[in-house]
Amino acid sequence: MAAQDRLTANTLTRAEPNAPVPLRPIPLLRVDGLSVSYGSHEVVTNVGFELGRGESLALIGESGSGKSTIARAVLRLLPSNGRATGRVVFDGQEVLGISERGFRPLRGRAIGFVPQDPANSLNPVRTIGAQAQEAAALLDEPDKRIRKQLVLETFAEVGLDNPRRVYDSYPHQLSGGMLQRVLIGLAILPRPALLVADEPTSALDVTIQKRILDLLTRLQHDLKISLLLITHDLAIAAERANALVVLKDGVIQEAGRTASVFSSPASAYARKLRADVPALNPDRYAALRDIGSRFLKTAAGTAPKIAVSAVTKTFNVDGKSLVAVDDLSFTVPAGTTHALVGESGSGKTTAVRLLLGLEQPDSGTISVAGEQIAGRSPGELRSAWRHLQLVYQNPFTSLDPTWTIERLVREPLDRFGIGTPKERDERVRKALADVGLGEHLLSRKPAALSGGQRQRVAIARSLVLKPDVIVLDEPTSALDVSVQAGIVEVLLSLQANLGLTYVFVSHDLALVRQLAHTVSVMHRGCIVEHGEVAEIFDNPQQPYTKALLASIPSGVADAAQAPHARPLLMAAAE
Amino acid sequence: MTLASFSAASRVTAISRLTALRVPPTVAFAFAVIAIVIAWSLAPGLFTNHSPVVGVTAEKLLSPSAAHWFGTDHLGRDLYTRVVYGTASSVTSALIAVVIAAVAGGLIGLLAGFLGGWVDIVLARLVDVLLAIPNFLLAVIVVTAIGFDTTNAAIATGVSAVAVFARVMRSEVIKTRQAIFVEAAFLMGGSRWHILLRHVLPNASRSVLPLAVLQFGLSILVIASLAFLGYGDPPPASDWGLLISIGKDYLKWPWLVYAPAFVTIATVLSVNRISRWLRKTD
Amino acid sequence: MTNAYLSYAAKRLAQAFVVVLLAYVFTFMVVSILPGDPITNVLRDPQNGFTEDEIRQIIAAQGLDQPIPVQLWTSLSHFVAGDFGRSMRSNRPVATLIAEVLPSTLILASAAFAIALLLAVTIGYGTQFLPKRFGQGLLRGFPSLFLSVPNFVIGLVLIHLFGFQLGLFRVIAPDSFWATFFAAVALGVPVSARIAEVLIANLDKESEQEYASVARGRGLTRMRLFARHLLKPSSLPVITVTALAIGELLGGSLITETVFGRTGIGSLVQRSVSTQDLPVLQAVVSLAAVVFVLVNLIADLVYPLLDPRVKLIGGPRARPTTADDGAVATSVAATS
Repeated sequence: MAAQDRLTANTLTRAEPNAPVPLRPIPLLRVDGLSVSYGSHEVVTNVGFELGRGESLALIGESGSGKSTIARAVLRLLPSNGRATGRVVFDGQEVLGISERGFRPLRGRAIGFVPQDPANSLNPVRTIGAQAQEAAALLDEPDKRIRKQLVLETFAEVGLDNPRRVYDSYPHQLSGGMLQRVLIGLAILPRPALLVADEPTSALDVTIQKRILDLLTRLQHDLKISLLLITHDLAIAAERANALVVLKDGVIQEAGRTASVFSSPASAYARKLRADVPALNPDRYAALRDIGSRFLKTAAGTAPKIAVSAVTKTFNVDGKSLVAVDDLSFTVPAGTTHALVGESGSGKTTAVRLLLGLEQPDSGTISVAGEQIAGRSPGELRSAWRHLQLVYQNPFTSLDPTWTIERLVREPLDRFGIGTPKERDERVRKALADVGLGEHLLSRKPAALSGGQRQRVAIARSLVLKPDVIVLDEPTSALDVSVQAGIVEVLLSLQANLGLTYVFVSHDLALVRQLAHTVSVMHRGCIVEHGEVAEIFDNPQQPYTKALLASIPSGVADAAQAPHARPLLMAAAE
Repeated sequence: MTLASFSAASRVTAISRLTALRVPPTVAFAFAVIAIVIAWSLAPGLFTNHSPVVGVTAEKLLSPSAAHWFGTDHLGRDLYTRVVYGTASSVTSALIAVVIAAVAGGLIGLLAGFLGGWVDIVLARLVDVLLAIPNFLLAVIVVTAIGFDTTNAAIATGVSAVAVFARVMRSEVIKTRQAIFVEAAFLMGGSRWHILLRHVLPNASRSVLPLAVLQFGLSILVIASLAFLGYGDPPPASDWGLLISIGKDYLKWPWLVYAPAFVTIATVLSVNRISRWLRKTD
Repeated sequence: MTNAYLSYAAKRLAQAFVVVLLAYVFTFMVVSILPGDPITNVLRDPQNGFTEDEIRQIIAAQGLDQPIPVQLWTSLSHFVAGDFGRSMRSNRPVATLIAEVLPSTLILASAAFAIALLLAVTIGYGTQFLPKRFGQGLLRGFPSLFLSVPNFVIGLVLIHLFGFQLGLFRVIAPDSFWATFFAAVALGVPVSARIAEVLIANLDKESEQEYASVARGRGLTRMRLFARHLLKPSSLPVITVTALAIGELLGGSLITETVFGRTGIGSLVQRSVSTQDLPVLQAVVSLAAVVFVLVNLIADLVYPLLDPRVKLIGGPRARPTTADDGAVATSVAATS
């Protein structure tokens, strides 16, 4: 498969075999036959691409695809056990083989770097200003006051409201979005020719994500910077880059201009990747979802499975009271999925904990499957938990690492004393089969499983009790899109077969659209808008909902920001 | 206890540890040193033909040679033999110390971390007090109170290390108690005790094993120091610390200090290396 | 912040006071409740030649005929008032005995502390400057080696090499400059290992942080990265370890003083142990606890002033990696 794809990319290169050399612009960055290994383990194999001046190129791939490793190899920031071979030509100069001393003048000055996680990318014990001066030192400007002025101007340029305050702050005093603006500012301050952005928005909330990406696109055009964008999100890549390189396990699967790779992917992997992005396929699971929709229509008049009414919860933080959830009310008919959507700090996590009885509300009532939840002690809630289960966000922390899969899935049966030992064995095997896992995993420990497999185990563990209601707290946000698609499919077919009721908590509106029947949009502890999914998505009323919907990457570049479409040269490694 | 939890690790992880991570050469060497030390303490007679107690007066204070690897002491006894025969007592006492410290400290830490509230406050103060008294001084006081011999020195050493284990165990338990899988077990209908014994304890004690190994090395040093000051068994016992203590009066014949010191250092260094390796591979 | 800091300081001060009192009670319990009756053993030891009448007098004078809680109360209230009682052997005030030997131990301990810090910093920062293949591995091995050598062996080796072979000092003149210097080296080396270990661990941790590679992406040299970014965050935890290491200096002086034949707190303890002179032991242990608690109190009070991330609240403390966590209830939270 890989060979065939490389052929595709090759044809692309050879499309103009006899073009005279001067007509073919020299690319700013040319990567040729790049391989990177950690110890004896090769993570990037024979990768090649070209990035023209003022152009943008996205490296796309899921975890383990080697996309970040390539970025680090270009920046020569690989960890000490990493070894790169091949050629990286920047501005006509081979830079992979030159000495550290020879390469350093390029760093920052000619090649800027925007990292993935803004919260950990600035030194926590030094002020922003002190670190900004390091970037400013790369300018040929001897006067420190003028350098500071330039920093402040750049901060204003990247959309920071109060540059002076930012300059004097410590990193922990700023939000993630502000920090990422600072980092972008520091990267563009010396006016580099190339900006390498490694998943610049994956740690940020969706609405902020869009603003940061808009900023990067604007800067790229205003300052004529070339952008090498690393992302796992095909829609974002298609929206922001002229060319795409799709990677899997360190090997290029497909490469080419955005329009062709995105709209008609040639490789099976790129096709699958595209099909798995929720934003691009809102009706992928329509058939399965419609089964639940019927319950929604017949629900009128019958008692809802879940009824939350006027629930308020206040926390005491540092002597100040913080309203986490304010007057929360919603109902969920049996057999349907209700989504709670919001960004961080919206109160959706608190809502989950209240629903399970892990926190007690200050006021309001919660009933699940006819049982009152609010106001009962953990001992009394035990009976409710037989019918009400939770699947956590992160399968890497929700399974005890010292237990085997069999013991983990069996635990609820043992604890609630359900059935004979033999029946328990059968139910464990059945639950694992239901989530698509084989019996050979029974004696393994979680560490031996992939993230997707672990989340399936967590779902099986909830399922084994045959509950009525499962609360799903961002069950796929720690997983790759292709793994997410598998999990979503399992969840929907379980619902269709067993008539389960779900509460699905997510920040991902596109995903919600794929699988939920009703939705509540939360913002700062309140529900700002609620209703049936189609209604909310097609005709949002509140500005916040509109902003959320607008931040879903569509895969289509905004006309206003569309780069001047120029022919782009692509080359794969050979 | 150390051995028990080691073999309890599942076969899969033991094999993957050996194949995937491979034992670095220095660690393999450290294991070899420890194997020799264990052999010395189990069957000292297999390693030497001399007597550790009766010397040949004519052969006193000989330098190391093929006949006497470590030379002979002021009574003409073969020093290598004395070291070999002193191993059992030095190693066993360190083991006693570690078991006391790990069991008592582990229990204190487990209860403090899991129960929280006033239990934690009371136990945390107790640990603070144990920490506030310098380790070695504490060992000296305890051995003074219960009497001078090697077993008591081991007990004193154990008592002085209780705080270390209690502290590590407590912070591990608190960390584990807040882990999401513990809350998940709670939602699966698990009782407090079930969660404590089946989830919290196994996870929290994973980091106690490397600590116990490390403490084993430290205990050898502390017990040697107590023996050096004369708080252990009197001669003709030949604990390593005691041998060095006797040797210090004969510094003209430095092997009397250097040979037992070398064995002590090699043992402790190996133990420390193994502990570091365990911490890394976990 | 100021208010929070003051109430935090007050809380820590109160805690420190309680710990010192409890340390006193603990020592008292150990020596009076554990099996074996050192008091009567010593008094009735025929070598000491006390008559029955004298024994009765001493017992009455020390209050040993009282029930244990009463004894504890009397002795504790005296201790709080600064009265350490009298030695059972010489009948001289314990405070005087300690005052006589304290200067010598203070000199030794401060010299050892200076050496330990110097050595630790040299090793720790040295790893950042030596090339990976050559030298760095050697330097990294030092802390582990230092921690594996009994400190009396270090002392004996130094005496053998520099005293006997090179004749730099003589064991019969233990207060000479070189004798004091080498005694301080013997005492300081294991302490330096603890500090260096933490320093190296933190330097490694910090240089793997994302901010370090982002800073390198801004074109910083290795030296500048170290000086501007890694030095401070990796050195802060050293304050805590150093405070903890003070206890080791006190304990270690016991052995070092014996090896080098110095008089000092250590030799006083040695003598009091062999004669089971409990009032002296009790006083020394309590003083050691006071010193330890004070130094750690200072460390805990200074720390929040140096680390901008530290925010005082009231729960268990969280800090960058140190050998210690959770023993002292400082509370620190990194907010982001």
